Amino acid sequence: MFVSTRRRTLAILVSGALVAAACSGSDSADSPDATEAPAAAAEAEPDETPDDSEPAPTAPDEPAPLEDEDQLTSAGEGNVDLASLEPIAGGEITFGLTNDGTGFDTTGAVAPGSIRVITALNDSLVGLDADANWQPNLAESLTPNDDFTSWTITMRPGLLFHDGEPVDGEAVRANLQAFKDSPTVGFAMAQVDSITAVDELSVRLDLSAPWAALPYGLVGQPGWMVSPSTIGTNETFTGTGPFILESWTPGDGARVVRNPNYWRADEGLPYLDAINFKFLVDVTVKRQAFEAGDVQGYVSPDDEDILDFLDDDETDVWIGTAGANEYLWLLNTTAAPFDDLRVRQAMAHAIDKQFIIDAFRSGLTVPANGPLNPSDRWYTENNYPQFDPAAAQALVDEYEAEFGPIEFELSIEPNASTIEVAEVMMSFLTDVGIDGKIKEIGQGQSALTAILDDFQAFSWFQFGSPDPDSDYVFFHSSGGFLNWTNLVSADIDAGLDAGRQNVDEADRKAGYAQFLQALGDEVPMIWVDHLNGVEAAVTLPELHGIGTPGILPDGSASLPMTNGSFFAWSGVWIEQ
Amino acid sequence: MLIFVQRLGRLVFVFFVVTFVTFFLLDQAPGDPAERFAGLNATPEVIEGIRAELGLNGSLIERYLRWLGNAVRFDFGDSIVTRGFSSWDLIRESLPKTLELMVFAEIMAIGIAVPLALASARRPGSFIDKASSSTAFGLLALPAFVLGIYMSFIFGVKLGWFPTIVDNLPGLNDDPLDNLRQMFLPSLTLALNLVAVYLRLLRSDLIETLQEDYVMLAQARGLSERRIMWRHVLRPSSLNFTTAVGLNIAGLIGGAFIIEVLFAINGMGRLVIQSVILEDFNVVAAVVAILTVAYVMMNFLVDVLYSILDPRIRHAAR
Repeated sequence: MFVSTRRRTLAILVSGALVAAACSGSDSADSPDATEAPAAAAEAEPDETPDDSEPAPTAPDEPAPLEDEDQLTSAGEGNVDLASLEPIAGGEITFGLTNDGTGFDTTGAVAPGSIRVITALNDSLVGLDADANWQPNLAESLTPNDDFTSWTITMRPGLLFHDGEPVDGEAVRANLQAFKDSPTVGFAMAQVDSITAVDELSVRLDLSAPWAALPYGLVGQPGWMVSPSTIGTNETFTGTGPFILESWTPGDGARVVRNPNYWRADEGLPYLDAINFKFLVDVTVKRQAFEAGDVQGYVSPDDEDILDFLDDDETDVWIGTAGANEYLWLLNTTAAPFDDLRVRQAMAHAIDKQFIIDAFRSGLTVPANGPLNPSDRWYTENNYPQFDPAAAQALVDEYEAEFGPIEFELSIEPNASTIEVAEVMMSFLTDVGIDGKIKEIGQGQSALTAILDDFQAFSWFQFGSPDPDSDYVFFHSSGGFLNWTNLVSADIDAGLDAGRQNVDEADRKAGYAQFLQALGDEVPMIWVDHLNGVEAAVTLPELHGIGTPGILPDGSASLPMTNGSFFAWSGVWIEQ
Repeated sequence: MLIFVQRLGRLVFVFFVVTFVTFFLLDQAPGDPAERFAGLNATPEVIEGIRAELGLNGSLIERYLRWLGNAVRFDFGDSIVTRGFSSWDLIRESLPKTLELMVFAEIMAIGIAVPLALASARRPGSFIDKASSSTAFGLLALPAFVLGIYMSFIFGVKLGWFPTIVDNLPGLNDDPLDNLRQMFLPSLTLALNLVAVYLRLLRSDLIETLQEDYVMLAQARGLSERRIMWRHVLRPSSLNFTTAVGLNIAGLIGGAFIIEVLFAINGMGRLVIQSVILEDFNVVAAVVAILTVAYVMMNFLVDVLYSILDPRIRHAAR
C-alpha cells in the first residue's frame, strides 16, 4: 500500500506540475506539448511492432497474470475465507457509477447507468446459477410443453411490488406484453405469438417456433417486472427487488433504500439500509473519491488503476468474466463498401488486435474473433481473418481494381479513449489503402443511429451474454433492425436456431459452432477484444458481496458480476 | 434615472440577441426532435402531434416568440432525453448548487484578497507583499482543473478533512454544517484563481490612491492608519475591483463547469455539458436563457454599484 500510495502521490504531483508548467508558459510556442502527447501516441505508426514502439514495461507495471479468464478473485478478498464472515445488517454505502442513467422505462432502450441502478431495484423472473444455467428466481417455475412451443410461468404467491400491488399472473402478462409491443425492444420476443394469464399466478407464452432457451431471455430486461400502473414510466422503477428507489436526480445519481416488504426478508435480505449510486464520470475523480473513502466501491476503473489496485492489499478488485462486453466495429453489410466481403475481410486482416490490447488495455483483455469468450462453454474456434497486412493489401487491390478507392465513415460516440483506439485502428487501415474518417454522434445515440441504419461502420460495445441465445436477435435475420449489420446468412440463422431450439448441450454447442464459423467467414463485424479483463469493480475490503456469488431462492449460488452489472445487491453488506 | 433605463434597455436587447442566436443555432442542428421524441415506428400523425405539442410548427420567428412567451413563465419544454422531466425540473435541481458554488467562491475570494491587498499596499515591498504577490502569480499559473485535483488529493485523500465529491448535498437550511463542509473545497478551488486577480488589481489601485492629496491630509489630521485604509482609500480604489468582480461572474460560470466535474456537483455546468452531448436541445436553450439573464443582470448591478461607489459617475450621468 505504501509503495502504491507513494507512486500515486508522485504521479499526481508530477502530472500537475507538467500541466501547470505548460499552461503557465502561455507565451511559449511549446505550451501545447502537454496535450499533444496523447495525440502523438494515437498516431504511432501501426506497422511498428508493439515491442519497438512501446517503452519496455517495468516490472511493477506488468499486468498481473490472470490465471484464467474466469477468475473472480482479487488481491485481497480472494484470500479471505468468505464462509467465515457473518453478514452484518445495516449501514449504507456510496457506490460510483461511470454512466448516468436516462430513465427506467422497461419497454425502451435502457442506458447502462440505469441498468446498474435497476439491479438493486429488481429481481428478474429468472436467475443464473454459478454454471450460468437458468434457475427460477422471482418466478416459482417455468414449464415448457413437449416441443417447447409453449411456456407456462408460475409466480410465487404473496409477492408484492414496491407500491404494494400484487405480482400476479396479470401483472406478469402486462409487463411481457408491453415489452413485446415495444417498437424498440419488442423484436427480442418476436417469436412469442401470444401471452395469456391462465390463472391468478400463471402466464402462458405461446410461440411460433420451438424455443428451449427462452428462460435465458427472461434473466435480463424482458424479465424485469414493474407494477402495471407504472409500465412505460421513465422517471421511476416500481419493481420487486431488495431496494426501493427513493430518489433519482438525472446527472447526479440515485438513492435506494431497503425494501421492508422484500419477498426474501425472512432470509435477512437485504443487509444494507441504503445505497447511494453516484455518477462519477472522470476516472481521476472516481479514484480519488475511493481513496478518500467517499465512495466504498466503483465500477469500470481505468486499466492502469486495475494494475495498481491488484498490487494493493487494501483494495479488492473484482474482475468480471461471464458476459463481459466485446469491443468491435459493426459493418453495415447493405451499404458500400461493406456490402463486399473482400473489404470486410481486408479490414479484419489489417488490424493488429494485440497492439490495441497492449497499448490501450495494459494487456488485460483477450483478442476477440466473435461474441463468445474463449473461456465460455459455448465457444469454438472459427476462421475469422487474423492480422495479415499482406493479405489485406491483396484484397484491397482486388476490390479497388473493380470499384475504385475504399472510403468509409466510422460512427462513434464522443468518448476520448474510444476515439483514440479507433484512430489507431484507422491508421492500420490506412496502411493497406483503406481511407476511414471518424464521424462523432451524440452521446447515448448509438442504438438509435444503428437502428436507423444511418452508418457505414460503427464503434460498438456489446454482447457476451452468458447464454448466446440472449444475443440471438442481434445476429439473426429475423432480428429486424436489431440485426445491427443487416447480414442475412442461412448458416448464422441455422446455428442460432439450433442453439435456441435444442435442450441437449451438445446440440446447442454444435449450433453455436456453426454460428461462430459463419460469423468468421462473413465478417459482418471487426472484432477487437473481450473486455473481461477491464470490466471490473473496485471495493474497500470492508465491503462484501460485490463480485461474489449471491444466493438464489433454492439456496444455490448465483453467477456473480455478469456484464459487471448484475451484482447481487441483496447480499451486499459492510463491516460497521 | 435615464441612464438606468438606457442600460436596462440595452440588457433586454442583449437577452433577445443571445437567446435568438442560440435558438437559431439549435434549430440548425441535424435531426428532428419530434421524431426522436416520438420514438421508432411512430406514424406521421403521431410525429405531427408531437411537433405541435413541442411547439415545433411555424417559422423560426414564430417558434422563437412562442418559446419566449413560454420561457417567461419558466416553461422551457420537456427534456427530450430524460423523459418524464421538464427542462425546468432539471435546472431547478442544478441551479442552486451552481449559485451556491459561485457565491461562496466570490465571498472567499473577496475575503482573502481584500485584507491581503490592504496589507500589501500599506507596505509595498514588505514580506507580506512579496509573499502574497508570489502566491498570486503561482495561483494564476494553475488552472482550476489542476488546482482542484491538488486540493482534493491533499485535503480529501491525504488529510481527510473534506469530502472529495459532493454527494447528497443537504440544503443550507437543513444541515448548514454538512453543506459547508461539502462545498468548501470546490468553492475554495474556484476562489483561489480569483484571489490572484483581485489581489493584484486592488493592490495597485490602493497604492495609487495612497498617493492622493486627501490621503496625506487625512494622515496629517492624525486619523488612524486603519481608518484611512478602510474608510478613505478602499472605497475609491474599488472601481476596477468591482468591475473585475462583475466580469468574473461570467468567468466563474465557466470555471464552475470544470469544478462541477472535478467534485461531481450536479450543477448547471454538468447539466449543460451533458445536455449538449446528449443533444437535449430544450434543456440547452433553457440553460442559455437563464445564464444570459443572470449575466446581464449581474452587469446591470455592477453598473448600479459604480455610481454608489463613486458619486462622480452618478453626477456625470445627470
